[in-house]
Amino acid sequence: MTNSNTLLKVSNVRKNFAEVVALDGVSFEITSGEVVGLVGSNGAGKTTLLRLMSGVYRPTSGTVTLGDDTPVHLMRDSLGVVPESTGLYSRLTAWENIRYHSRLYGVSDNLAWKRTVKFAQSLDMEENLSRYTKGFSRGMRQKTALLRALAHGPRVLLLDEPTAGLDITSARTVRSLVNQIKQEGGTVVYSTHQLFEAQQVCDRIIIIHNGVVKANGSPENLIATTGCETLEEAYVALTQEKARMRFEDNKPESGVTKLWHKLFRPKTPESGETLVVNSDE
Amino acid sequence: MNKSIHRVKTIAKKEVVEFVRDWRTIVAIIIIPILMFPVLFIVFPILLESEAAELDAKNVMIEIQYNEYPEDFSALFNQSSTTIALVNTTFNQSLSEPMADFDRIRNMELDAILRLNYTDDIWFYSIIHLSTSESSNEAKARIIDVLAQFEANITSQRISDGGLDVDSTLDPLRWDGDVSKSDVATEGEQAGLILSLFIPLVLAIWTFSSAIQPSIDMTAGERERGTLEALLGLPCTRNELLMGKWLGVATITSVGVLLQIVGLLFAIGYLATSDFIGIPDLSLAAVVLIVLSIMLFAIMVVALELALAMRSHSVKEAGSILGPAIILIIFPALFTQVINLDGIESFWFGIPVINILLALRELLLDRVIVEHILIWMVSSVIYATLAAYYAAKQFKREDIVTTLS
Repeated sequence: MTNSNTLLKVSNVRKNFAEVVALDGVSFEITSGEVVGLVGSNGAGKTTLLRLMSGVYRPTSGTVTLGDDTPVHLMRDSLGVVPESTGLYSRLTAWENIRYHSRLYGVSDNLAWKRTVKFAQSLDMEENLSRYTKGFSRGMRQKTALLRALAHGPRVLLLDEPTAGLDITSARTVRSLVNQIKQEGGTVVYSTHQLFEAQQVCDRIIIIHNGVVKANGSPENLIATTGCETLEEAYVALTQEKARMRFEDNKPESGVTKLWHKLFRPKTPESGETLVVNSDE
Repeated sequence: MNKSIHRVKTIAKKEVVEFVRDWRTIVAIIIIPILMFPVLFIVFPILLESEAAELDAKNVMIEIQYNEYPEDFSALFNQSSTTIALVNTTFNQSLSEPMADFDRIRNMELDAILRLNYTDDIWFYSIIHLSTSESSNEAKARIIDVLAQFEANITSQRISDGGLDVDSTLDPLRWDGDVSKSDVATEGEQAGLILSLFIPLVLAIWTFSSAIQPSIDMTAGERERGTLEALLGLPCTRNELLMGKWLGVATITSVGVLLQIVGLLFAIGYLATSDFIGIPDLSLAAVVLIVLSIMLFAIMVVALELALAMRSHSVKEAGSILGPAIILIIFPALFTQVINLDGIESFWFGIPVINILLALRELLLDRVIVEHILIWMVSSVIYATLAAYYAAKQFKREDIVTTLS
């Protein structure tokens, strides 16, 4: 049943890439002001789900809607997205990167600047706004991408592994910002495979495994339901099935590609065969 | 509609700004095009002159084998850098057979051998030389000059001995007056003819080649750097994205092509050693149609390159597809140069690439032929539309967000 505060709704979503089923029967709702964690191993389907929620992908079946049941791809100006790769242009300054996206969102430079400065203070990025992003560290890039996603005032912020590869201080700063957004009533979808982080930041955790939602609830609720003592144990109990390959690694090959690979792919020993290594090596 | 135009402009502006901030781009798009032809026009003649002077000064060794030596023959070799050795001999075989002299020429002991056999009032001759050696070729050239002079002297002498007037006998047919004045084509039309031989070629090849790098950078490059995903999550449509990027590439390419043409015209106007070319006489209609034809060509080429680059899985793959694809332009461009425009069949103006190149050739000659214009315009619009449709299809693919690299 739909809550009156429901902001984002994923209904029975299936996503296929040719024969590969990336997501199957995924359903959940996110209410306004919630911070929801998408937790899963590599290849679980988190990024695919985020791309569906940001309108980059369209579901094979099912719907992803925002607000009053409008398909999400028609409401992209209500979303702020930080992809895993951050996606910054190295020959533009941090502010130019932010301004570029804001303009495409139809937001005036003045308004975007005001919002950027406000959040830049929290992220300690004010002095770096006029610098080219070419020399930025991973942390600075992530912070710039966050500022860019916030500059147009989105209703929902979608973050794909925002702390991956960050040092402890930068990761803390990013988490603090998410908390700040939460305090201000913002809605955040936070993809991660760090359980402690999800527990720290999120009101609710959705565990995805092999393209299927395995659990959906608050960290305390998940622990209680599984009868485990920690969230990690609960996660392991819920995801015992062997993790599959990432979709990109599992893409079906065309006939020509198959033949090409058959001819030129390096040979590996068949099972039971012994790999002979030169004794001199 | 306004929002859409604003987005397209924003994307195009960002692409141009980002591209221009790379110094390598400035070199490739501005410095090289503007300097290429002027440098070529300055350096090439200097190089040719210095090579010619070097050859003139080169000391060559020539042996003259003869059965009867012509009087004052050695005096005809007026260059001090020619060393002559005389060998009196008899000839039993064809003069062209190198015989025992084969090794002497191959070992460069001698640069060339002139054999002269005087029999029954005829001078039979041959020059034994090594065509792969510059010195030997120079020696052969000097011998040929001397033989020509020698032959002219004998011919004049014999005509004179026969009691005829040498001048009227050797040159009985003469043009009267200034040859150039008898051509009814104006200087402007002549200039147009010469320009029509290489301007379409330069335009076509440079448009294609200068669009390669930005096309790859803005598509496969963006995907590889991870910037495309962020862009696809924005409220702009894929068509707006394509149009913005197209406008960006087209702007960069146009600047490159324009600068190259400016450099070429500057080189022709101010640096060419002869006044073989001037400003072409073009009507306003021809100028407008030239601009239109280039635009249609650019729409097609840039859209096609963007599509192919977007279709590629990586920058490397895009480069290995678009690099060799320039052959698709070079071959038709070269082929078009030899097509005779007088009485040309209309179907030529419907063939992709060739149609625009032929249109440019005709228009540079100020030939505004309505039937041809209609055919190349309609066919070009169709090709440009197909290329844009293909590009739009590629941009709408879901998997453009991921890369296999």
